Amino acid sequence: MAMKRRRFLRTLGAGTAGIAAFSCSDQEAARRIAAEQGSVQDADLTWTKAPCRYCGTGCGVEVGVKNGRIMAVRGDEANPVNRGLLCVKGYHLPAMLYGEDRLTTPLLRNSNGQGFSEISWDEALNLIAQKYQEALDEAGPTSVAFYGSGQWGIHDGYAVTKWFRGGLRSNNVEPNARLCMASAVMGFMTQFQSDEPMGCYEDLEAGDDFILWGNNMAEMHPVLFSRILANKRENPSVRIVDLATRRTPTSDYADMYVEFKPNTDLALANGILHLLVANNQVDQAFVQENVVFRRGTEELEQIGYGSWGPDGLGLSPDDGPAEHYRFADQARPSSFDELEEFLADYAPARVSEITGVPVGQIHALAEMYGDQGRGTVSLWCMGVNQHVRGTWMNNLINDLHLITGKISRPGANPFSLTGQPSACGTAREVGTLSNRLPADLVVMNPAHRAKAEEIWDLEPGTIPERPGYHTMDMFRAFMRGDVRVMWVQTTNPWVSIPNVRRIQREPNDGRFLVVSDIYPTPTTEAADLILPSAGWVEREGTFGNSERRTQHWEKAVEPPGEAKEDAWQVMEVAKRMGMGHLFPWPEEDWHEAMYEEYRRFGLGIGKDLASYQQLRETRGLLWPVVDGKETRYRYAAGFDPYVQKDRGVHFYKATGFGERAAFWLRPYHPPAEAPDDEYPFWLSTGRILEHWHTGSMTRRVKQLHQAAPEAYVEINRVDATELSINSGDLVRVVSRRGDLELRAKVDGRGQPPRGTLFIPFFDEDRLANLLTVDAMCNISKEPDFKKCAVRIERA
Amino acid sequence: MRGSNRKSLMRAQRGKRSIWLLALTAVAGLVSGACGQGDWVPVADSGGAMKSSGAVRAERRLYDGAPPIIPHDPFGASCASCHDEFGVGVEGVGFAPASPHDDTDHEGATGRCRQCHVHVLSGDLFVANGYQGLEQDLRLGGRLYPGAPPTIPHQVLMRENCVACHAGPGARVEILTTHPERVRCRQCHVPVDTREGILSYTVTPTTTPEGP
Repeated sequence: MAMKRRRFLRTLGAGTAGIAAFSCSDQEAARRIAAEQGSVQDADLTWTKAPCRYCGTGCGVEVGVKNGRIMAVRGDEANPVNRGLLCVKGYHLPAMLYGEDRLTTPLLRNSNGQGFSEISWDEALNLIAQKYQEALDEAGPTSVAFYGSGQWGIHDGYAVTKWFRGGLRSNNVEPNARLCMASAVMGFMTQFQSDEPMGCYEDLEAGDDFILWGNNMAEMHPVLFSRILANKRENPSVRIVDLATRRTPTSDYADMYVEFKPNTDLALANGILHLLVANNQVDQAFVQENVVFRRGTEELEQIGYGSWGPDGLGLSPDDGPAEHYRFADQARPSSFDELEEFLADYAPARVSEITGVPVGQIHALAEMYGDQGRGTVSLWCMGVNQHVRGTWMNNLINDLHLITGKISRPGANPFSLTGQPSACGTAREVGTLSNRLPADLVVMNPAHRAKAEEIWDLEPGTIPERPGYHTMDMFRAFMRGDVRVMWVQTTNPWVSIPNVRRIQREPNDGRFLVVSDIYPTPTTEAADLILPSAGWVEREGTFGNSERRTQHWEKAVEPPGEAKEDAWQVMEVAKRMGMGHLFPWPEEDWHEAMYEEYRRFGLGIGKDLASYQQLRETRGLLWPVVDGKETRYRYAAGFDPYVQKDRGVHFYKATGFGERAAFWLRPYHPPAEAPDDEYPFWLSTGRILEHWHTGSMTRRVKQLHQAAPEAYVEINRVDATELSINSGDLVRVVSRRGDLELRAKVDGRGQPPRGTLFIPFFDEDRLANLLTVDAMCNISKEPDFKKCAVRIERA
Repeated sequence: MRGSNRKSLMRAQRGKRSIWLLALTAVAGLVSGACGQGDWVPVADSGGAMKSSGAVRAERRLYDGAPPIIPHDPFGASCASCHDEFGVGVEGVGFAPASPHDDTDHEGATGRCRQCHVHVLSGDLFVANGYQGLEQDLRLGGRLYPGAPPTIPHQVLMRENCVACHAGPGARVEILTTHPERVRCRQCHVPVDTREGILSYTVTPTTTPEGP
């Protein structure tokens, strides 16, 4: 139809010069037009839809292709996520694939350890199969590992999890999402026994008060922030509260900026709960019907932080046992009465003392959460998740919504955002974490394993019961040699792992590291074998975004050279290991069949995904998708097909809690490392608007690189003055684990308070993670990139 | 150049919207056949800053349709104080183009200018890039019949303020309107959605995967 109409217009234009000629340039243009026999209606691009490659928002873009190359993108106005708007990264997507150093052939490290040589795909795939087989034979399934990514398409993650658990009989599968949203997973799982948010992005228009917990949305989720700003413009009573440890561009738009000392968000949330209970603002009817109470361990000193050394500061294996942590926790039933008693410790004056937040602001926050006349949406991402007690913090935010009944309603929800395009789709839903199977199933549960074995047509007992290594332990095991062969796809751990010095390796150390990527990175530099991958729309795929939306795209252009899609690489190795039965689909047409097999895991259990055909035809759908209809609000009558019409809210997935949600009592606990005389500054790390993740894609785009060419350290003006540091000066930042030279920035886009520094982690030449500590959440095992102690001096 | 630009911009008296009228006069000159003054609209008092606007336009964006970078240093003023609905001319310096966006309200959805437009802090490249973007094609646009008002050949989203590009000294002559005073552009000019049918489309893969 489109083509027909275009041709119609062109025919009419023929011979009429199309546009009127007024100027010299026009006359020249008119001559060109005459030669072309008419004006053109569009640039003759073939447009196809795709989700953006970068963050977890999942903006729709249209990709314009001509002569086998991407020429342009534009925001997809038909996509309900972004309605046509993109951020600077999204607008500059096309150049991301055309950096001149694209990897185009498999590369094997030379036997002398120096440099790489090209080898054929066949040799590369055979070598990987051989290395995995040798490790299996000599050291068993715990000696092999796969480290993937929330940037994997669903097919990639599914191929790996099926091959590892069903073929190699190993649960050593992890995504980098462990560094990113594992705490959110454990928050939702421990409370609702079903992962991912109940609300959707429509909350951003339906809500009245937006409470941002350590979440610089203006830079990290700009298009979603635009939706809130648009809501605020239409409805001036809308309020934005920025809870943070430093001022960011988000703070500029906040009605209230609440600055708390690092890690004390735990105390702040309890302080709000204290006031809600004290002021009788608990929705008692909702709580009685829908909530049970649980309490974790009270032996706080026993929990530990999971880093090296007796004091858990991640120094060196010589300083103590490599993995000394116990992470002991327990869960026992609790009650509202016990909660009241527990919250006695969190009266406003004491909370103010711990957090540094004025008492008046604590009251203001409690009033917002407690006001039943207003919809409250809590939003969070890395500030809460990358936290030594990240699961607790997730629990506390969900608690605030449970105790006020502000949950599973349009405009009233706890909303955890994600940082990667398929952190939800691939890491969480496919279950590429070491303890998980698709659709919230876990390897520890015999019935869950049996279900997976049935769908995968495997002998009962194939899938091992014991979870594999979580990410931090996987890399430690690799450095110890307990993991001998590891394959890394679509991520850059030699930049992104905290305390990264711990994983520096020498060539020919007896282990074998395979890295699939589209560009050279510090991780490919650490590899023994590098595989060239197809990126983004160079292959067909599916992503799942933060609001449970699964989105599909078709292959739009050929990958360069011999680059191949990640799932294909995995299936080819599996076939060479005699495990081709796991992937019984025709080589040229397997995407739909694989997805439809995967989809069987979730059907009928509230995890129903849309059919592949439906994904092709839509801008994605929010699961559960039942009878072809998506679900905007889970657990809510009238929205969720699993909830009876008269039921109101029904947490039907939480069968372990009598189909109610669990409210967890979670105390304040200090971080692993805090500033002292020797290291007097807090250091926080994170992203900036222009660069995504470790910058391996965005830095290759001229406009993005030139806008943010290198990492810097943000310092408060008063601190800088005291230390005689000017903005732009070269300084050295030193922690117990490493040091880093970079330029200081005073009064930049982020403004830390006195005693706090911030360094973005995108710059592989200035590795922020040389400084960070590998301390982690005791439940999710997600490391805390936001808090360690450093000093700063003029270089 | 950037530095001096900044200083004079800060010093300069803003709000010289009269330049806009000058531009209209210039257009009138061109319409009446005054060729030979180069390809671009002459702006009487801009010191020739606009003479190469076409090349500059391309230089400042990744492809036709991408948001332009910010070609000057940040100097503390809000973007909308110059890049407002009409644009601001500064004698001896040039013209701060009007914002093409619907809403330049600081609190509005598009108030976060730097979410899409970024400053240039370095002239270096991290790695060379072989991307060649879509170029501006001035032949774009069609008419139902000779004499009919031309249709709008581009996305209107984020380009709702037509006169930002189609009138005034920042505009390329090829796309200058002859009648900016009529204001309600889309009463006669309608966007042709080149994505027509894309909502329900089924894309066939442009290529088929091949084996190793």
